[in-house]
Amino acid sequence: MSDLGRDQSCVERMRTGDSRALEELYDRHNGLLYSVVMRVVKRPADAEEVLQEAWLQIWRGAATYSAARGTVGAWLVTVARSRAIDRIRSEGSRERAEQASGTNPAPPTKDASAEVAHRQMSERVGRALDQLGPQHRQVLELAYFGGLTQNEIAERLDAPLGTIKSWTRQALVRLSDLVPREDWT
Amino acid sequence: MNPHRDEYLELCAGYALGNLTETEQKTLETHLEEGCPTCEVELDRLARGVWAFASATPRLLEPSSLRARVLGAVRTEPGKRPPIPLPRRRIAPVVAWISAAAAVVIAAFGMMEWRAASRLERDLAAARDEVSRLRQEIQSEQEWAAVAAAPRTRVIELKPTPAGSPQLHARVTYDPASRRAVVACSDFAAPPGKDYQLWAITKSGPASLGLVKADSQGRAMIRLPNAGDPFTLAAFAVSLEQAGGAPTTTAPAGPVVMVGKI
Repeated sequence: MSDLGRDQSCVERMRTGDSRALEELYDRHNGLLYSVVMRVVKRPADAEEVLQEAWLQIWRGAATYSAARGTVGAWLVTVARSRAIDRIRSEGSRERAEQASGTNPAPPTKDASAEVAHRQMSERVGRALDQLGPQHRQVLELAYFGGLTQNEIAERLDAPLGTIKSWTRQALVRLSDLVPREDWT
Repeated sequence: MNPHRDEYLELCAGYALGNLTETEQKTLETHLEEGCPTCEVELDRLARGVWAFASATPRLLEPSSLRARVLGAVRTEPGKRPPIPLPRRRIAPVVAWISAAAAVVIAAFGMMEWRAASRLERDLAAARDEVSRLRQEIQSEQEWAAVAAAPRTRVIELKPTPAGSPQLHARVTYDPASRRAVVACSDFAAPPGKDYQLWAITKSGPASLGLVKADSQGRAMIRLPNAGDPFTLAAFAVSLEQAGGAPTTTAPAGPVVMVGKI
């Protein structure tokens, strides 16, 4: 069974109340979830609270997952990242949100056992964004890790809103080529 | 019906990233609810882009206590299964004191049955979890056993370099189709304050596969769910690092003590 199949099987088992299925998903995906959440909230204590809330939401909401909308991994990251953005927004600190973007990344306590596949994906994403330009990477980082709206990004980069929307779309379209349709649903 | 317009496509990017204003989000959701195949295809494509971006996030080491904390919180959540319904009892209309006495007796029996039902429910849930866990374990073991039997599997014997002890022995069994690998090591007791670290050597450079933690006999067996892309993987190597491993996952800091080309 592929990893995608295993993940979907875990979600089905979670729907019947099998907490071991959640453990399996945790072991396969929490490394990425922690890295994304840390990039947003920056403080390890905040990241731990956010992840506890996120996994509880995942546990309670297993029935809401739809394979037609993407992989289980993407769903888990979406839930965790949303909780992280909620956290920095609830603290009312836009500065913290901005700091969470690429200009001030999280402390580099890197996971030495991270898989080769992750490194290869990072390289492919890096190359794809390099081909577009630094502004494309910046709008994605401000949006995804900083939680800034497109209007806020336009103000921050002193660029027209239409340009920001255009950069965002161009960047995502380019990156979408790195995830084949058959690896998605 | 709100016909498709190109401005909706621009909203799709913000929607996939989750950074639309409330008004923008409502506008797009109303449009999507009415059904727009163009925007649905676009959203699917952009969501894949968001996933690629997210999955490239530099990995950080999570605190070891986090797993127990999260799983502990989940386990203490109220159960999802519907409670087993209790048997219904009917009391015939009799004189008041008999009714009261009967009610006490029935309540006592009811409590006993409820406890028994609760216990059975817990036992059933535990047994179901155990069966599920064992099934997963069997499946996992079968998949790992298949690595050795796969038609394209390569067995790579790593050779000590001049910097490595001639006693070191390591063999990698690598299935290019599944990208799984099993690494068997012996005589791998690291000197005090040091750790052996395993590397995949790819066309774009080394990538860490983790530390080799040997037992008291110096033996280690490592299972790698993804040892690397067969089109870029050129060799496996082992380096001797300070305890905890090299500072980066992209290059050994210590001497390379074993190498095996694919």
